[in-house]
Amino acid sequence: MKHDSTATGLLWIGPWVLGFSIFTVVPVALALYYGFTDYTLLEAPIYVGADNYARMFEDPILGQVLWNTAVFGVISIVLGTVVSILLAVLLSKPARFQSFWRAAVFAPSVLPLVALAVIFKLAYDPELGIANRSFDLLLGWTGLQGPNWFGSGFWAMTALILMGLWGVGPAVVIYLAGLRDVPKQLHEAASIDGVGRWGRFFHVVLPMISPVILFNVIIGVINAAQVFAVPLLLTGGGPERTTYFHSMYVYDQAFTFGDMGYASALGVLQFVIILALTGIILLAGRKLVYYRGA
Amino acid sequence: MADDSSTTSSDAPAPEERLSIGQLSRRVVIGSIAASAVGYAILGPRPGRAGRGDRLRLDYWEKWTAHEADAMKVVVDRFNESQDRIFVNYLTMGGIDRKAKLSIAAGDPPDVLGLWNRNLPFFSQCGAIQPLDDLASFGISEDTYATAVRPLVFRNGRQLAAPTTPSSIVLYYNRTILEACGVDTSRMPRTITEFDELIEKTTKFDADGNVERAGFLPTDPGWWSWSWGGYWNGSLYDEGTGEATIDSRPMVAAYDWYQSFPKRWGLDRLRRFQGAPTDNPSPYRNFFGGRLATTIQGPWLPMFMDQELGKGVFQYGACPFPVADGLEDEPPFGPIEADILVLPTGARNPEASLEFIAFTQREENIEALCSGHAKPSPLVRSSESFRKDHPNTAVEVHEALLQSPNAYTTPWMSSWQEVQMAFGAGISKIWNLRAESAVEPLEEVQMEVEAILGRASDRRQRRGQPDPWLRPNEVPESLS
Repeated sequence: MKHDSTATGLLWIGPWVLGFSIFTVVPVALALYYGFTDYTLLEAPIYVGADNYARMFEDPILGQVLWNTAVFGVISIVLGTVVSILLAVLLSKPARFQSFWRAAVFAPSVLPLVALAVIFKLAYDPELGIANRSFDLLLGWTGLQGPNWFGSGFWAMTALILMGLWGVGPAVVIYLAGLRDVPKQLHEAASIDGVGRWGRFFHVVLPMISPVILFNVIIGVINAAQVFAVPLLLTGGGPERTTYFHSMYVYDQAFTFGDMGYASALGVLQFVIILALTGIILLAGRKLVYYRGA
Repeated sequence: MADDSSTTSSDAPAPEERLSIGQLSRRVVIGSIAASAVGYAILGPRPGRAGRGDRLRLDYWEKWTAHEADAMKVVVDRFNESQDRIFVNYLTMGGIDRKAKLSIAAGDPPDVLGLWNRNLPFFSQCGAIQPLDDLASFGISEDTYATAVRPLVFRNGRQLAAPTTPSSIVLYYNRTILEACGVDTSRMPRTITEFDELIEKTTKFDADGNVERAGFLPTDPGWWSWSWGGYWNGSLYDEGTGEATIDSRPMVAAYDWYQSFPKRWGLDRLRRFQGAPTDNPSPYRNFFGGRLATTIQGPWLPMFMDQELGKGVFQYGACPFPVADGLEDEPPFGPIEADILVLPTGARNPEASLEFIAFTQREENIEALCSGHAKPSPLVRSSESFRKDHPNTAVEVHEALLQSPNAYTTPWMSSWQEVQMAFGAGISKIWNLRAESAVEPLEEVQMEVEAILGRASDRRQRRGQPDPWLRPNEVPESLS
């Protein structure tokens, strides 16, 4: 039987194309347009040229939210990558209840962010929380006290970064898959050449899983640049805007302050930053990432 | 494609003409979905206003939940029973101001909308609400309302909203603690100096110097942190000039006093005091638990006392919050707020909406509503039965503030929420002792707010709107 496979294919992907156009392409196009307007949502947009973009250069809060986002992103990506790889290496070793441990590492990441924020709000409570209770148990004998987690900018940011480790499960699964792809012959050859365990890890394993690291870092950058729900619920951006991130600022400009034009411009900026960072990482990856068979 | 089996029979029609069951069902499914979608688009629900039977349906969006929503439900039911032409469909929801913006922007707003008075500058400046001047035909005017309520809903002589439940913020005290500490509760402090003496007298420390009981804490609950300057006769904003006055002397004096608490008792000790273990998540727990001798609160407080502790268990009293020296002989000072009803732009049945809004403003209805919320009435005078049966025995203190020319509310500025956020960051710096005094943080906030107000002014100019603080006779002809 003959089939017009193009028509059938188009028919099948039609609903997706329609949905993608309506819910992604059109909003993105509108955001680009609104970025050049003064738009309160309740009034017709007025074209203002590049005013919204010019405003960014004299907006001290934007500088602060970009800095906060960068600090959060850099530390949480580095920490998250190290912890994920370590967990993946541990989980790749034969062990009793291996499946249980793998599930245990992945399970927390399926928890909704709102529930997660509520749990961690309790965990970080200075008096009752498990964080400071554990601190007292471990270090109470020294006379040190657990921090007031949301009372200072440093500790609030630390709390959010540590909390990010809760969701390393998906990255660990990807690293596990990458580790399984490392040929045994390479390990054996390195062993025969007298390379120790750490040497094999740094000179065999890491290069072989470098494409996976690259992928996870890019995903990490995208997620970090868009961090929103947890800090909104946990700190509200405080104290003194020290945990106020770019996405929160975009949201406030759009829906709290009613400045949809500036919010759109900030959204475009966010897109450009993520695009640029991704490009830089990919360029760096050309030198640093090893592709088997390339 | 799993269709090959259907082409094996020799007498079967040509492949192009035949349909397998798989293809048929696929086409049927796709066709059905497409037909359903088209049918839904054409015949599906419309934002119509068909009411019950022949009655016109009004959609009324409100933000309240629990007992507050129930109190308004009583009024809505009364209205629906009072006539047979209009049926009010009462919907309560969270995040109402954001949802309202989207519905108005989309051209499908509710017929009546419940907001807060702080929303009014933004909504009115954007033309998102319609004036309620026609309420005059129902006998409603500025004189209908208490002195301090009028500027919340009238602007330049025009009624922009109708108040439902106002709240005025006063000082509540634990009578038992104060009397045990030798405080004469019939002569509560009228000045901040006297109040500081009361605080010293009622604050208790343990052997390690930790605060066991605080006489007062401005951050417990900390809901009106923008309002302290008012007790020094200061304000955030001068409506006459349209300029921010955040770093003015009364404001600095107020926030220096605010900062005196962590300075005198220690920031860490206060953090421990406020974060002390408790099994009560209530925001009133420190006051109800006897760990706070006095607190600044709204009229609803006694209702929560009764709910949490049992009726009449807690011995409380209320009085106006003390003021800076020299202001004590003036009528009471303090912040007020109000829930309001507005008529959104694009509402389909404005006459019917007005009829409902006017109904809510009748004395018997508004008193039923305010009593249900444990709040004072916004009307110029309340009935004797309202005061007698009110769940708050100190309701007169709240009513007195609503009648005071010294009561104040959030500034009339369309950028209030942005200003509030900037201000919040500044006073957090003051409280956390990240500055020697309030001067520097307030100067920083002043600069930030000036930039915000400048942008708001540019926006008005761009749109040809007059500055909202101008009186009608001051509006330039080109903009009027």
